[in-house]
Amino acid sequence: MEAVDVERPASARGIGRLRRPPRDPLASRRRRAGILFTLPGVALIGSLLLLPIGQTVYHSFTNWDGISSKWVGASTYSHLFRRPEFVQVLENNGMLVLAIPVAIMVPLSVAFLINAKIPGWRFFRSVFFLPTAVSWVVIGFISVRFFADDGILQHLLNDIGLGSIHPNMLSHERSALVAVMITFIWSMFGTNLIIFLAGMATIDQELYDAARVDGAGSFTVMIRVTIPLLRRFIQFAFIITLITAFTALFSLIFVMTGGGPGYGTTTLEFFIYEQGFSTGDFGLAATAGVILFVAVAAVSLLQVRLLRTED
Amino acid sequence: MSRLERTDRLRHTSWRRAGSHALIYLVLALITVVMLYPFYYMGFNGFRSLDQYYAGHGFSLASWRNLFKTLPVGRQLLNSTIITLSAIALILAVSTTAGYAFAVLRYRFSRLVFLLVIAAMMVPLQSIIAPEFVNLANIGFINHRYGAILVYAALGAPFATFLMTVYFRRIPEDVIEAALIDGLGYGRVFLLIMLPLALPAMFAIAVLQFIQVWDDLLVGLLFLQSPDVRPITVGLATIPSQHLLDVPLLMAGSLISALPAVIVYLIFQRSLISGLTMGISK
Amino acid sequence: MVRKTMMVVLVALAGAAAVGGSLAATSAKSGNVSLTLWHNYGTGGNAGATVNLVKAFEKTHPNIQIKVVSQPSANYFALLQASSISRTGPDLAVQWTGLFDLKYEKFLLNLKPYFSAAEMAKVNALKYMAPNFDPSKGFLVMPLENQFYMGFYNKALFRKAGLAKAPQSWSQLYAACAKLAKIGVTPFVYGADPQSISSSPYPWYDMSYLMAGILTPAEWKGLYTGQIPWTSPKIVAQVGKWASLPKKGCTNKDVLTKTNILGAFTKGQAAMISDGNWDTATFLKALGKNVAPFVLPFSDRPQRGVIQYSGDGFSVMGYSKHQKEAVEFLKFMMTAPAQKIIAAAGLIPDIKGYGTTNPLANQMLAFVSKQGLTPYPMLDNVVQPEVVTTGMKQLDAALGGDISAQSALKSLKSTLDQLPAKRKGPIYSG
Repeated sequence: MEAVDVERPASARGIGRLRRPPRDPLASRRRRAGILFTLPGVALIGSLLLLPIGQTVYHSFTNWDGISSKWVGASTYSHLFRRPEFVQVLENNGMLVLAIPVAIMVPLSVAFLINAKIPGWRFFRSVFFLPTAVSWVVIGFISVRFFADDGILQHLLNDIGLGSIHPNMLSHERSALVAVMITFIWSMFGTNLIIFLAGMATIDQELYDAARVDGAGSFTVMIRVTIPLLRRFIQFAFIITLITAFTALFSLIFVMTGGGPGYGTTTLEFFIYEQGFSTGDFGLAATAGVILFVAVAAVSLLQVRLLRTED
Repeated sequence: MSRLERTDRLRHTSWRRAGSHALIYLVLALITVVMLYPFYYMGFNGFRSLDQYYAGHGFSLASWRNLFKTLPVGRQLLNSTIITLSAIALILAVSTTAGYAFAVLRYRFSRLVFLLVIAAMMVPLQSIIAPEFVNLANIGFINHRYGAILVYAALGAPFATFLMTVYFRRIPEDVIEAALIDGLGYGRVFLLIMLPLALPAMFAIAVLQFIQVWDDLLVGLLFLQSPDVRPITVGLATIPSQHLLDVPLLMAGSLISALPAVIVYLIFQRSLISGLTMGISK
Repeated sequence: MVRKTMMVVLVALAGAAAVGGSLAATSAKSGNVSLTLWHNYGTGGNAGATVNLVKAFEKTHPNIQIKVVSQPSANYFALLQASSISRTGPDLAVQWTGLFDLKYEKFLLNLKPYFSAAEMAKVNALKYMAPNFDPSKGFLVMPLENQFYMGFYNKALFRKAGLAKAPQSWSQLYAACAKLAKIGVTPFVYGADPQSISSSPYPWYDMSYLMAGILTPAEWKGLYTGQIPWTSPKIVAQVGKWASLPKKGCTNKDVLTKTNILGAFTKGQAAMISDGNWDTATFLKALGKNVAPFVLPFSDRPQRGVIQYSGDGFSVMGYSKHQKEAVEFLKFMMTAPAQKIIAAAGLIPDIKGYGTTNPLANQMLAFVSKQGLTPYPMLDNVVQPEVVTTGMKQLDAALGGDISAQSALKSLKSTLDQLPAKRKGPIYSG
């Protein structure tokens, strides 16, 4: 029983003080433990993720060169959008978005095949997911050999008699980007496949049976039953694919095309590296970095919103 | 015969099933070829000398000898291992403790801090790479492995924390309550009860992060500038101009840099897939 | 049991974390100084020269060791700059002269205090290594060699095609291409150059000769200041002719992605190539008397210009903790033994008083001394680096047929327009 505090007014003492729940000392212990346990994570993430993004936002308004900086205001943004190469960079990102439906539909179709659980399906699932373990650097090297003018694709064309066609995809801006997109789709196949398989595993078998009883064929079951139930997973796959396309292709582009020819395969993410570390204009890189961050954040928040409405 | 039985019987006619199965196998086999082709290509060409590569056949270890002459392969593999394992250890340490706090301890403002951590998942590496580089340079962490380790850990921590929080939330409250009533402190509850139960999730995170960190290029390229502290993936990417695109050499290098991550994946794939699935099916 | 093993593994991981943090930096033995040198020479003649110079230097300076690191040329400058910001870069590094080194001026040590006026006078064309191109302000780079951008042709293939001498103008070039194509070789091979700062062809060798074909050396200043805009009609016409070489069948089809163009030339698959002089040793070894230099004939009247310039050398980085020792290496480069090493690698010494026995090099030097051609610097060293970078992308795209010459030059002009006034004023500045 605590001593009664006469100096402090009743409100400070708290009218309910005598009726404080007996777990109170536990609550403050709990709070202290909680803070202690989150401290390492917060320290790490705060100093190495949140602080730099704040700095990026700040420096997007300066002419930073890595050593000194001077505030110049929003003119960096207007300068950036007026540069023709930047417009092309944004177009490149737009083209990547066009690859996403393909990156979704192919694994989705294959997921149906695997979900039929024919003997050996585990082997296939294992093999299809294997490319995710391989680094973009290695994928990039092989991809260069595939698309080169004396590469695997050309040999295939020669073998089937179409040898007179020389796609030579890496030499032209548009086709080089398509080559990067194809490689990207190939690589996302496994990840999206797993997502869809996980989704299919959550569908109740009874729903299938019910549909069968109603006389639905396999195809109808697929369209009318499975896909609508997979909607959340398809959305998730879309978001993951988009974020990967916008933020994880640096190594691939670095090794495959170096951003070229011209600015043909320079996505926003690669442009930031180039402006910062090749040209030395960190202020401009920061400006582009803010734009990338806003795009990714917007898409991520969209996903959160979608998940919320589902539940 | 009921309608259900009749349709079932038609559906399960063996020839019809065999036919559709054959078709499925065909498609899957085709896709397998497409997915595995790079490994085949690496394997075959890595074991040819440059002339044999141009000729299109042959077997030789010459390219491997060249690879070891060009790059400090052993040293860089060691660097990759140290950096990757250290980053994973740090990520696990940070995400389990924070996940425990968010899921179980739930102090005031913990929801807010949790949201902040999740928000950090949205920060793309590219957007922060410049200030990150300058910050670490100012405290002298560049060209040291621990600089790269910290950055990798920070990049992997938000998603890992999210996963651990989800996982810990699933553990029934009464187990924890019982331990607390028995007089165990929050720390011991964490060590003796939560961690053992969380091992599957921790393994999933470890495998995922192993692949991410082992295969990374940008952080390694900028933060580790001397060849003797570089990881193998970065070393591989910085070969090209030294050797006029010696394809077999690149393939040998690709093989040796890809192999560890692939092996880790193959051994732990169940764990990885279940971990990802768990995070998705929330 | 499984849980126990899992716990053990995790503890092991924690141990690895503890180990991982420690980087055992091998400190040099007392009295010994250890320097690092970065170069982007790949495997060309200048790489060999560098290594031999270092070996010889270490023999005469036993307490100084230099570690030579070959960085990938595609990202060399990005890495150098990044490492300069973090002050973790090398002590000595290759720099390209002219406006290239002025771009990094704040990271480079000004060598004026270490060299006497007499020593500085022995360096050819020192002004291109000086701040604002003014030698009285000091200098930033010790050149490795005197260089040429040059065309090389295979005399045997030319004879086979019925050509008596190398082409000297556009019309002669077209004629030569037709005859060479008839005998089944690539007339002029383009592609990736291992020493270029990207993995695509480096268009500035050709661009230098294109501009030499229509402008005097003094007029080149106009390209820097913008007084002669990049989109002038005669420039557009010149670049247009160059960009249409592939279409005219003068080059290989995969100009932007062909690799190993040196191999194609040395194996006799191509008759002409444009390159720097740093590969002449390779050419001589493969083709002997059958290789000869010729100035790129990008002119309506016979080409009167030759691109001769000391394009690269070594600088001491300003943050180096061993500046004195690093400068010792640069001083060593000026000595007779060093110049002999440079000449032996097939390069052309850049210090007055030293010559070369490389027959190709002497033929190139004769362009100026005997044939009275006008020497020009390398164009990419005397226009702004941003314009050079834009040009690398856009001129390549024009050669590849993706965009017109007009478009490419418009990009160059707009890059120049966006630079602040002091970067394109009457005084060259970085």
